[in-house]
Amino acid sequence: MKKWILFVFVLISLLLFFLTPPKAQGQVDLFGYYESQIMGAQVKDNFYQLFANKLRVDLKSELSDHVFFAANFDYITYHGKKQWNILDFLSSEITSEIPDSMKPLYVIPFSNRHFLDNAFLRLSFQPFDLTLGKQQISLGTGYVWNPMDVFNIKDILDPTYEQPGHNALRMDVPIGLSSTLTALYSPGDEWKNSAKMLQFKSRISRFDFSVIGIEKTWLFHDYTVFDPYEMSFQALPEKRRLLGASTAGQLLGMGVWAEFAYNWMDETDDFYELVVGTDYTFDFQTYFLLEYYRNTLGKNDYRDYNLNDWMRNFAQEQKAVSRDQIYLLVQHPATDLLIVGMSSIFSISDQSLALVPTVMYSFSQNVDIYGYLNWNVGKEGTFFARTMGNGGFIRVRVYF
Amino acid sequence: MKEKSKQKNSYRGLFLLFALLTAGVFLTWSPFLGQNLTGDEIIQKVDELLTTQTAHAKMKMTIETTSGQKRTFVYESWTKDEGEKNLIRYLEPSRVKDQAVLMLNNANDIWMFFPRTQRVRKLATHAKKQKMQGSDFSYEDMGGGGEFEEDFKAKRLDDEEKNGHDCYKVELIRKPDKDISYSRLLIWVIKENFYPIVIEYYDEKDPTYLQKTLTQSDIQVIDGIPTAKKMVMKNLNDQTQTVMEVKEIEYEVELDDRLFTERNLKR
Repeated sequence: MKKWILFVFVLISLLLFFLTPPKAQGQVDLFGYYESQIMGAQVKDNFYQLFANKLRVDLKSELSDHVFFAANFDYITYHGKKQWNILDFLSSEITSEIPDSMKPLYVIPFSNRHFLDNAFLRLSFQPFDLTLGKQQISLGTGYVWNPMDVFNIKDILDPTYEQPGHNALRMDVPIGLSSTLTALYSPGDEWKNSAKMLQFKSRISRFDFSVIGIEKTWLFHDYTVFDPYEMSFQALPEKRRLLGASTAGQLLGMGVWAEFAYNWMDETDDFYELVVGTDYTFDFQTYFLLEYYRNTLGKNDYRDYNLNDWMRNFAQEQKAVSRDQIYLLVQHPATDLLIVGMSSIFSISDQSLALVPTVMYSFSQNVDIYGYLNWNVGKEGTFFARTMGNGGFIRVRVYF
Repeated sequence: MKEKSKQKNSYRGLFLLFALLTAGVFLTWSPFLGQNLTGDEIIQKVDELLTTQTAHAKMKMTIETTSGQKRTFVYESWTKDEGEKNLIRYLEPSRVKDQAVLMLNNANDIWMFFPRTQRVRKLATHAKKQKMQGSDFSYEDMGGGGEFEEDFKAKRLDDEEKNGHDCYKVELIRKPDKDISYSRLLIWVIKENFYPIVIEYYDEKDPTYLQKTLTQSDIQVIDGIPTAKKMVMKNLNDQTQTVMEVKEIEYEVELDDRLFTERNLKR
């Protein structure tokens, strides 16, 4: 399957080079980056290390004024500790309830992989743009959390990292100069299991706003039941209908944004998510960002967290275990080439805290070095418990 | 009848002579008329000169750090409605390739596009204070057209020679209701063509504290408009400088309003 993807990517690249007219050939653009990452974490009495190498090759071509093609291929290799058992991070109250025979199942493997992350064609007509294929879907105004985005869940320690592409057919219809109507269809195995989205974005005074409606099958798993036929935990697909709204603008000189989504579930309880945020740049160049997030799927008392809550969070099936969280980011350009920062995530519901000091250094024109530390200071069983492991990573990225 | 006609011709001759004499006197004394220009009038002329209806340019920006390292960026920019609409799209280096910034309402509304996530982020006006790609130019320095007159109150100081040019020297004090990062500017304007050749930027709170100096040179007339092909912004706080060079520029080009929309920002 993976070889097939690689073959298609190479074939498309060759076709673009050799079959397009000379003028268009000149517009084919190849670029990307190589990224080397060293991650370490102190988990109980062990210090684990994971090394990752990632090569991303981007291809872009404007075949005419109305036809745009872009794709990227990712190749990632892992070294070091390639299997992490989730149970190592959880409290003994949770792990003690799991039968010994099932304990080896809670392992997240880091296997070498290569895949076509994005590959799409955009056809621009006078009244609308049509985008077909694997593409980025970015929804909402939140920096760390996006209640409206049912397609992606950001890493709260590294929220600006790129998201995977999603197979979809998308139509953007501009209405005047400041409004857009977007319709999106992300096909599943059949119509009823496919994601459908309709969004209207516009601007009123100094504020952008959007309203959105989405229907999507949400794939939960029950991590207490293993399906021997499927060789995975029991899948619990459920229809999710979302109605949301977002805004971004300025109040009293500060950037402000808000995002809300109410979710109607077919089987389980309905829930809502809310994000409110603000940011500001001081005269001395220090940047500050604060974001509050509520997810009523999360719980108020950490003693109620169960294995499914944790596993769904680790597997990125749901955005949070605890109900209320605050994210704070402070960044300052220490020199022209060095940015230092500190982000912290405070789980209000269980009074736990993660501190993440960061540095970003521009080593040379196209080489950046990032350093992150992660220090959890909550008590055992909370969202940012000390037992979750303190560690960090260094990432070197070379763009070409 | 002939007498009347002769009389008419002599009047015409006298009028022509008077007109020529008046014009001669005006032309002879015109350089001195500048002596009577107020600070606001000089700045108005600077604004008029810097304000072009539309422009399309390719720029090269080189940041020179304290340690002597250099970072070079190449970007393309489009400007419309006398600088009210601006779009900047980075071409080089690969690290920022295709990143784009849309500034409307004289950079009071800013959107930034990140190509790897296809995300467009609306930024508040405080973001104008941020350094453009770590350079010594802020987004505020880049956005908007000639707006000195609207944002500042001008006072003419004693004329000075600057970088080999006979210049007007004007002090600009920020108007109380304006959200500008500089409390005061000192500006040297070439008398001959009203081009601002040096601008000193003073701290937002302390009008005596000099933060940055912009020096414009290699002034060429392109499409009838004087254009500095080289701009050097020196940051006296950080002891760094950024050199901006105009690689290509064309004025009064036809730019569709749809260029300055979120739809186009994502392209």
